[in-house]
Amino acid sequence: MSRHARDPSRLDRRQFLKLSAGAGAAGLLYSSGLQARSVSTNARIVIIGGGAGGMAMANRLSRRLDGARISLVEPREVHHYQPGWTLVASGVWRPEKTMRPNSRFVPGGVDWVRQPAAGIDAANRKVELGDGSQLDYDYLVVATGLQLNYHLIDGMSPDLVGSHGIGSVYASIEGAARTRDAIDSWIAQGSGKGIFTAAPTPVKCAGAPLKMTFTTLSRLEASGRRDAFQVEFMAPGAGLFSQPYVNDFVKQRFDDQGVTRRHHYRISAIDPQAREAEFTFVGPDSEFTSHHELREAEFSAEGERKVVTDYDFIHVVPPMSAPDFVKASDLIAQDGPFRGEWLDVDIYTLQHNRYPEVFGIGDVIGAPINKTAASVKAQAPVVEANLIAQIQGQALPLRHNGYTSCPMITGIGKAMLVEFGYEDNFAFLPSFPFIDPRDESWAAWVMKDRMLQPAYYAVLEGQA
Amino acid sequence: MTVTGALTILWYALAPFLWLMVTGLLLLVVVQVLAHLRGYRLLGYRCLGANLAAIAIGLSGLWWIPLFTNSSLTYVATVFDWAALIGAVIGLAVIAWLVLSPLSYLLRVRQPSPP
Ligand SMILES: Cc1cc2nc3c(=O)[nH]c(=O)nc-3n(C[C@H](O)[C@H](O)[C@H](O)COP(=O)(O)OP(=O)(O)OC[C@H]3O[C@@H](n4cnc5c(N)ncnc54)[C@H](O)[C@@H]3O)c2cc1C
Repeated sequence: MSRHARDPSRLDRRQFLKLSAGAGAAGLLYSSGLQARSVSTNARIVIIGGGAGGMAMANRLSRRLDGARISLVEPREVHHYQPGWTLVASGVWRPEKTMRPNSRFVPGGVDWVRQPAAGIDAANRKVELGDGSQLDYDYLVVATGLQLNYHLIDGMSPDLVGSHGIGSVYASIEGAARTRDAIDSWIAQGSGKGIFTAAPTPVKCAGAPLKMTFTTLSRLEASGRRDAFQVEFMAPGAGLFSQPYVNDFVKQRFDDQGVTRRHHYRISAIDPQAREAEFTFVGPDSEFTSHHELREAEFSAEGERKVVTDYDFIHVVPPMSAPDFVKASDLIAQDGPFRGEWLDVDIYTLQHNRYPEVFGIGDVIGAPINKTAASVKAQAPVVEANLIAQIQGQALPLRHNGYTSCPMITGIGKAMLVEFGYEDNFAFLPSFPFIDPRDESWAAWVMKDRMLQPAYYAVLEGQA
Repeated sequence: MTVTGALTILWYALAPFLWLMVTGLLLLVVVQVLAHLRGYRLLGYRCLGANLAAIAIGLSGLWWIPLFTNSSLTYVATVFDWAALIGAVIGLAVIAWLVLSPLSYLLRVRQPSPP
């Protein structure tokens, strides 16, 4: 069991909330707190993963359910604020700013199982743990995040990040810091070619590869030698971003800023010593939702066209999928676009399509967009309400509208607050009427730089 | 979002600067109280130097507030950007005036009056 009653920072925040409530907001505070009544149950609930989605669910469910036995399976002691990694890799934030102990967020009354899940036996409602023991569940929340498949790029490994001119903001917080160092070295070199890649699968924060390109362009411009550097962007699909307005905007901006775009190529191999990367042509209809689809398209393309190119710096974005142990379970999608790669949930109710006692949240689910912490914020109340309704044998009351958000950093110091959902071809869903998602602004940057991390922690605590 | 949620966000956003805010607030209160004890009245005392210094401090925000957010004035672009920045500049000037005006009063009172 985790207990953190003596954590001074947590007490401070509680005191702050009490004080603030006492300062005038008490009525509102308590009415909002009472809105959702607690539900009595002795159900065993297992949450796999204590990242953005899992931690938010642990806090929400422990508050709403009276008598439930909730286990949170999470091996890590440190909680990583991953949206901050882009700022670390761009030299704007220090790495320490993105880390907090997990103990700060695990709610009292929840059994924190500090080891990895190794398997899921969906038919018998069991989760197998790393030490070979098993956890039985009545309800399961899968919140494992996703897996970075660097191994699908021949010669590539996350250990290479930071050496031989290789960067990858996704690798880890250490990888983000080493990516910053690799970019520093490239800029210090005074000239040369930088290649930025995108993955042929859905990725978390699909804007991150674009943001890394933009922040690096800012730094190249600030060096005063922009013309001495060549910048290329290799995209596996015809588009760069799922939201149509932003897609067109980014393409135009890349063209204006002298970024050479090549479409329909994925990075297939890398030779770090020679500083060469191999790109494979993936066919003209290349918008893929899984690696399976991609391979099929590649194999059906006439002859495999490959391009080998040298680089001074390369930003590698690996293919991504659900973790292997989820893929090996019966919970993985059996057909459709997410087959074999992503959790098989209804993208609106977030309930598993075949196992009604199972719900998914966050990056692991098979959905056309949505691999952001902002999506988790929107999904958490849906999973909470629907899971509780499932426990009570009622109809599922809430539907997720696909809300996702990506503050599209278009340079160090400015951004667009891009928010959109499933409907109307990913139409904008702006939260603030005074911030136009089509405008680059300082305010959107300030949100990214100062406000989103606090909002993220509020999501973890089930408060937002 | 609940009020608790909004307060949680506010707490996390302000926590790193709490020491600065508390120090600033203490300074303001101490200077105001001392000056009031010696006869200072907020709107009854005028000092051109303190007023100009407060305006200068406020205007300096145009440079350092964007810098403090890892940005720069060139990226302050939309109407909302400008409204937010001008609001911050005015707030800064008012706070500076609330400290500098009583401070200048205290300094004047301390000077011995000519024989
Ligand atoms: C570089 C980068 C930039 C980003 N930028 C943004 C942004 O600007 N805005 C935004 O909204 N989002 C952004 N994101 C995405 C955001 O961080 C994720 O979408 C979000 O964290 C997803 O939450 P999750 O709970 O699904 O996964 P995670 O937060 O990744 O958590 C998964 C958890 O599961 C645990 N886990 C994994 N395997 C096991 C196992 N076998 N057993 C038990 N536990 C396990 C992990 O330890 C981890 O704690 C960014 C991500 C990155 C990497």
